[in-house]
Amino acid sequence: MTPELWDARIGRRDLLRGGAGLALGMGLGGCSVGNTPRGSKAETEKPIKKRVDGDLVYFNYSQYVDPALIKAFEKLHGVRVRESYFDSMSAMMAKLRAGIAYDVIFPSAEYVQRLLSGNLLRRIDRDKVKNIDTVYPQFTDPWYDARSEHSTPYGLYATGLGYRADKVEMTGSWRDLGEVDSQDRSFLLDDYQEAIGMANLVNGYPLNETDREKLDKSRDYLIDLKPKLRGISTDTITNMTSGNAWIQHLWNGDIVNIRYQVDNPENYRFQKCREGLPVGNDAFCIPVNAKHPGTALLFIEYMLEPENAAQNVEWIGYPMPYEGAPTEAFQGLVEDDPEINVTVDDLEQGQAFENLQGEGRLAWDEVWTEFRVS
Amino acid sequence: MSESRFASAFLLPGALWLLLLFVVPVGFVLALSFGYTDDLGEAFYGTRLDNYERVFDPAFVPVLLRSVGFALATVVLCLLIGYPVAYYIAIFGGRWKNVLIALVVLPFFVNYLIRTYAWIAMLGDDGLVNGVLNSDIRFLNTPWAVIGGLVYGFLVFMILPIFAALDRMDPSLIEAGKDLYGSPWQTFRNVTLPHTIQGVLAGSVLVFLPAVGDFVSASMLGGPEEVMVGNLIQQQFLASDNWPFGAALTSVMMLFLLVWMVLYLRAAAREAREAPA
Repeated sequence: MTPELWDARIGRRDLLRGGAGLALGMGLGGCSVGNTPRGSKAETEKPIKKRVDGDLVYFNYSQYVDPALIKAFEKLHGVRVRESYFDSMSAMMAKLRAGIAYDVIFPSAEYVQRLLSGNLLRRIDRDKVKNIDTVYPQFTDPWYDARSEHSTPYGLYATGLGYRADKVEMTGSWRDLGEVDSQDRSFLLDDYQEAIGMANLVNGYPLNETDREKLDKSRDYLIDLKPKLRGISTDTITNMTSGNAWIQHLWNGDIVNIRYQVDNPENYRFQKCREGLPVGNDAFCIPVNAKHPGTALLFIEYMLEPENAAQNVEWIGYPMPYEGAPTEAFQGLVEDDPEINVTVDDLEQGQAFENLQGEGRLAWDEVWTEFRVS
Repeated sequence: MSESRFASAFLLPGALWLLLLFVVPVGFVLALSFGYTDDLGEAFYGTRLDNYERVFDPAFVPVLLRSVGFALATVVLCLLIGYPVAYYIAIFGGRWKNVLIALVVLPFFVNYLIRTYAWIAMLGDDGLVNGVLNSDIRFLNTPWAVIGGLVYGFLVFMILPIFAALDRMDPSLIEAGKDLYGSPWQTFRNVTLPHTIQGVLAGSVLVFLPAVGDFVSASMLGGPEEVMVGNLIQQQFLASDNWPFGAALTSVMMLFLLVWMVLYLRAAAREAREAPA
């Protein structure tokens, strides 16, 4: 018997059966493929009636929608928004795999693609959604969702170097992280994709390079960088506001949020680096097992309304790919450092992290672990 | 119903609890450690050994040693800080004893993560401490900060068992020691310490176990070198989407801790036999 025949996908029922099997000393041989949490194509295509069909079960990063907008939405439609939060895409996937029903979720583009491949997202009929025509044309057929049928883009982000203009002189390169004298106050993002992607760009490779030899070179770049770093951390906002970081590898929206918290915001700036710009976006999606897809559709429409989107952009500090008021609102927010913005040009010239497959995926994971334990 | 049956009936809820919420989940972790992921990072059960081949890469040894080193340093510091605190409260606390213990426990109702953030705010380059001292000391992103975070995080687990042991001890024993011309140190060494060694051992284990597996302190307070086993495991579950490899790391870690646990239990049993009545 091949190992594959013994393998079982981990759905909730399989877990229970698997556990029982193990507990009984029978191993997992009893598990077969099946009972998967995947949806069926037919289910995903069922049209959604745009109407209030219950309270909205909402699943997002915390602090990623202006709470005032959520309150106003509750009032407008006489529903409650029941919020729960995840702190990473993996954590979101774990809950979805466990079969918990949410009405609206906010996955990143990569995860939209993954959810789609599992038939886990309801189709959103674009003709029924008001203001969807304000979405930038770059998103009518994005790489992660053909014809944008199962997702609507939300926040945009670009990765670069945040820096203290009053302390350091930057040169526009990713190498500034290790080479500009920050008096040992440089931080790398504790994110394997961003870190390896950055090293790939420095070495002149594509962001998503998977060739093992090239990845080894990128790993070596990171290992050489390590002694020049003070830390490897995702607490970018704390690092910069506490004065511990003068140069911090971060997402553009972090700088906006840092500026909201400091006394002299003009000193906190963002650099897009000339070797290449990682760009990405999140999206609204309605999972296939949503109990109240109608309310979810109303919510997406509500969030797309230019006035609301503009208010939201200012609150969360990330730009959104909607023409008109939201774009202007973000431009206004970063007037003194337009680098923070993600422009249409950036979207066209930047590179997005893709879902790596098989060997490539494992290679990235190994490279990161080798770097971390080095 | 016989007495022993009656006793086992009382054991049942606890045993069920342990079975459902401990044994079964550990079984999942073990089972998953032989699994693999598909192209998109979805985990599957399997019968493969490649995760273990990866775990036994010598590159992980320094990380393991660092984790154990940090955890041992944490135990020693918790003991040095926790014993006098517990001693003071137990011996001199009088009618304030319970209030003092409540005060010790109180901060631990606040989430560990939030308490760690408080440390960053206090010890940052532009933080409170440097502001008050008008100094430029670099506290954060050092191994000391990681150990400090661990000590602060788990100190209560040292204080409580030692306090319990001291509280049970008859204070007249200390007086007896002094009456027999024991110096304060001799009295402590020959009377107090042997009476409370169970508490010390229990506290040490209770601090060591969470400290050795911790990832919060290293990731928030550490520098680029301060990687602990917990960080590697967290990476696999929350970023790389390689749950089977994370499960293999976890299983090896559990096995490693089990060895220490057995050593502790044997020591504790020996102490119990030799302890003064």
